[in-house]
Amino acid sequence: MDVFGSFALLLAFLCAGYAFVGGIAAILTRHPLLIKSARQAGIATCGLIFLATGSLVYLFFSDSYWVSYVVAHSNRDLSTFYKIAALWSGQEGSLLFWSFLLAIYVFSVLLVYRNKNGELMPYVGVVLAGVQIFFLTLNNFVASPFKVLASTGANGALEIFTRADGNGLNPLLQYPEMVIHPPNLYSGYTGFTIPFAFALGALLARYPGEKWIHLTRKWTMIAWCFQTMGILLGAHWAYAVLGWGGYWGWDPVENASLLPWLTGTAFLHSVMMQEKRGMMKVWNVWLVFSTFMLCILGTLLTRSGVVSSVHAFAQSSIGNYFVGFLVLVFAVCLGAYVKNRDYLKSENQLDSMVSRESSFLFNNLILLVSCIAVLSGTLFPVFSEWLSGSRISVGAPFFNKVNIPIGLLLLFLTGVGPLLAWRKTSTDSLKRNFGWPLIAGLLAGIVVFALGVREFFSLVCLMLCVFVTTTIGMEFFRGARVIRSRSGASLLASAVDLTMRNTRRYGGYIVHMGMVLIFVGLAGAAFNRDARKDMQPGSTLQIGGYKLLLQGFDAKAEKNYTAERMVVEVWRDNKPLMMLYPERRFFQTNEQSGTMVAIYSTLREDLYVVYAGQNPETQAPVIHAFLNPLVKWIWLGGLVVVLGTLVTLLPNRRAVLVLAGDPERAAAQHPHALAPSVALKEGHD
Amino acid sequence: MTRRLIAAFLVFGLIVASGMVIVSPTGAQDNRTHQIGKKLKCMCGACNDTAATCFHVGGAFSGPCGTAKGMLNKIDQQVARGDSDDLIVQSFVQEYGQVALIEPPHTGIGRLAWAMPVVYLLAGAILVVFVISRWRKRPARAFQTGGATSVSGVSPELLERARRRVAEETED
Repeated sequence: MDVFGSFALLLAFLCAGYAFVGGIAAILTRHPLLIKSARQAGIATCGLIFLATGSLVYLFFSDSYWVSYVVAHSNRDLSTFYKIAALWSGQEGSLLFWSFLLAIYVFSVLLVYRNKNGELMPYVGVVLAGVQIFFLTLNNFVASPFKVLASTGANGALEIFTRADGNGLNPLLQYPEMVIHPPNLYSGYTGFTIPFAFALGALLARYPGEKWIHLTRKWTMIAWCFQTMGILLGAHWAYAVLGWGGYWGWDPVENASLLPWLTGTAFLHSVMMQEKRGMMKVWNVWLVFSTFMLCILGTLLTRSGVVSSVHAFAQSSIGNYFVGFLVLVFAVCLGAYVKNRDYLKSENQLDSMVSRESSFLFNNLILLVSCIAVLSGTLFPVFSEWLSGSRISVGAPFFNKVNIPIGLLLLFLTGVGPLLAWRKTSTDSLKRNFGWPLIAGLLAGIVVFALGVREFFSLVCLMLCVFVTTTIGMEFFRGARVIRSRSGASLLASAVDLTMRNTRRYGGYIVHMGMVLIFVGLAGAAFNRDARKDMQPGSTLQIGGYKLLLQGFDAKAEKNYTAERMVVEVWRDNKPLMMLYPERRFFQTNEQSGTMVAIYSTLREDLYVVYAGQNPETQAPVIHAFLNPLVKWIWLGGLVVVLGTLVTLLPNRRAVLVLAGDPERAAAQHPHALAPSVALKEGHD
Repeated sequence: MTRRLIAAFLVFGLIVASGMVIVSPTGAQDNRTHQIGKKLKCMCGACNDTAATCFHVGGAFSGPCGTAKGMLNKIDQQVARGDSDDLIVQSFVQEYGQVALIEPPHTGIGRLAWAMPVVYLLAGAILVVFVISRWRKRPARAFQTGGATSVSGVSPELLERARRRVAEETED
């Protein structure tokens, strides 16, 4: 099967080569057969990558311990569930997995548009094939996952040998979220290839900018949703497994995943300027280019070791290939832009500084500043060494100080932007739309301050959360009230109806609401506390309102590890509340140990208990407990963001309602509407 | 009804607020070694954590890795000796260089790191305000997806032909 996998990868490389060269020839000659054959070569490439990936999965399931990658990342006792995760746990397999996910996207695009967009698709196909060629080059010639174990025999010839068992999977990866976090994150990274291919293809094909955006909006949303889920799942994994009590450490690899998310988010907003007003075409194209390049840069950071990171398991000298690819991509993008930029010229015109357009510009500014600040902070240790000869560290405190104010500005715009009218917002409209939200925000601030919170950023964050929640709520309420007045349905049913009439707009609001919940959770971090203590059975540890009573220890033997558990009784208000079982695991195969944190999670706070090993001096077991307020809001917010994104992907059920209650917005969105109580409009906001 | 709904949002806001304030902000751990350790980077070379919060792969359970533990032990000794926080931090800087500080110093090239985000924000804000001002001076013109809008460098006919082609080929 390893030979089959290698062969499939090699054939995939050749097919991708044909899809690329044949595609260029098809563009030049416009010969229908060439166009068709290039597309079919692209589809064949994907099929062959699926086969190669299936081969590697089969090698894991069949315990094929003559394949070097299988030996390094699996063992006989590893559960089936984690044998799937072993596929992407190392350099070679994760690169094949990248190709696999990219192939799913490419296959879908080539299939969905096989009879559409005849002029554009050959260009898109060439760009996609070009990206696939790069990754298949790595899969075939740089980091093949199908290398076998071989030694020189007595006769001097190479002989394949088989190991009795493998080294096992890294214990930190033996956690359910590790089976879903990388696929999500990789699906985000690879998914941004599609809008990139359409943007570059459209530019090369001299397509005016309006249409490629329509074609790629859903692909971009899908990639963005996966990237969001990937980031949050990674954060939850770090929280639940690493046992340090936090979820985001500003590690370079974490930062790398955030960068394309930030530019992707900026794109999803600024694209509305182009759709609505035909503005910012150049900006949007470069946002998509940048997002794709940041995905590649993120991979480079993850795998090159250019900056120190906890994600050491995938580092190697492969970074040079990514640098080369990055330079090539930039050169192609720049060349295409310089050659065809006239087709992107926009008739940018604004009526007022206080308008939806301006809010989008500032939204993009904030997201881009955050992106560049995180990027420059991440790379500053390298720059400082180049510039001054001494390396300067840039750790979490720096990123927090820089990004907290930026994040709050963004949160403010989340509330302000959607309520501003396109073109121009009058003072009356400002009063009408922002009066109650401002009052609600200020009131919340006063109450919280009176209750004793003095942490400035948390206070501001909370006020803004209430402000944004009120603005979103009012938007839903106003629309639902109109529908209710006509249909007589309940307010909730009317709100659902409203959402389904304009899924993009109201799905977007749901996403914003999810972000608000995440910010509420982040605000709680200022009040984290922890306590660490040597424990004996019967001893207690007090943290906040909780008392932890160590009752004793027990042990359990699983197939792939043995575990020693602390049996901890949790008391609150002098009453027993529940039992927690933090444990330490020892994985015999690779002689590594790991933790399994026990968490009692409520909306108010997480009680997070870690069995922190033994005190080396006293040999006493150590318990490390954290009290982390509001963390659960982050995960709930993530779910709401995903829900909102899914809503935006749904087609509108009926015509869109434009509220006549706001004449400016109605007029801007539907200039020819007479003035009924509601004006009907097809489209989106 | 409007007022009732707004009141509901206010209540939601206050619930959120109460969630935050129930935990009083007295969370800072008293342990001085831990606090000093938070100012120093773990010097194992494999992570970007502080000596006090090191949790990287290879670290034992939730605690700091061996290098970070050594650094914490050294801080303990210096605290016991009566050294000031600054003196302790400086001793690490002397041993490892500026890289031992978890965040850039506010001196020398470290100032560049702190200045960069501010410069980005200011430069970006000035640029956005400039762009908006410039766009406001342009005469209003309705955006027409299918119209023969003039674009400099490309003749309206050519652009219109390209748009017609796209409209024919594109199905939303």
